Amino acid sequence: MWKWIQKLASPKVFYETTNKLIPWFLWPFIALLILGLYWGLVLAPADYQQGESFRIMYIHVPSAWMSMLVYFIMAMAGGIGLIWQIKMAEVVAKVSAPIGASFTLMALVTGAVWGKPMWGTWWVWDARLTSELILLFLYLAYISLNNAFDNPKTAAKASSILAIVGLVNLPIIHYSVKWWNTLHQGSILEDLTEPSVHPDMLWPLIIMVFAFQFLYGVLALMNARDEVLVREQNSRWVRAVVTGEQS
Amino acid sequence: MNLAEILSFLPYGKYALYIWLSYGITFILIVGLFVRASINHKKIRNQLKNKYAREND
Repeated sequence: MWKWIQKLASPKVFYETTNKLIPWFLWPFIALLILGLYWGLVLAPADYQQGESFRIMYIHVPSAWMSMLVYFIMAMAGGIGLIWQIKMAEVVAKVSAPIGASFTLMALVTGAVWGKPMWGTWWVWDARLTSELILLFLYLAYISLNNAFDNPKTAAKASSILAIVGLVNLPIIHYSVKWWNTLHQGSILEDLTEPSVHPDMLWPLIIMVFAFQFLYGVLALMNARDEVLVREQNSRWVRAVVTGEQS
Repeated sequence: MNLAEILSFLPYGKYALYIWLSYGITFILIVGLFVRASINHKKIRNQLKNKYAREND
């Protein structure tokens, strides 16, 4: 295991691995997306309280979930980069930020569009919504801090520290519906042994969560392989890859 | 008549506007992420190709 990690830390092996892995994430994403959307939008019955509007859940919950998971991955990768000076971890952290920010925006927008018919308003300054908005700002701060330095090493150092400090927001988002009185409903995926929704509604949600994980995977890999090329542009293997020579 | 009522002929009736709007925005964001990744891919390869070509001169 440790040997494998060390090998993966070499930019060339990392590049080759990302290239190889892309289809392994792209096709499961497409398959799960089609299955989840068909099940969620066509097969699942309407909710007895929320009518058809609950179908927004199938994109709202996965994107909200991913907004937090990607932040966690970003902060962890940033931390690994800080402690062990693994450049490839810095790459993972850097390419994750715009993807995570997009998931956060997705969660906020679909939540607003869902809130309008259910709560009668697009937005309330409620604990869950506000903490998720702060997550978006954390992502944006990370991205701009990362772009503010010319030296990728300094940029990674500064932005990783920001990401790690921002980790404190994740439990706040997660527990906000328990700690405070909020308009936002409790978690659906909290306890799968005693699900609070019917299996016909739950399965498409689980499938969509996996679809979004593969989506993050494929996007992160696509961006990471290019980021490696830029960082390692002075090494011989990058020249060989770009100009199409055999290395 | 508001927009939600006008669009209620679509599937999901009175919630049609909200469901299609949220799915539409999500779709655009996801497609945007893929487009951004592939534009970036081409741009970086071209930049590096040019850089190496200049160095060889």
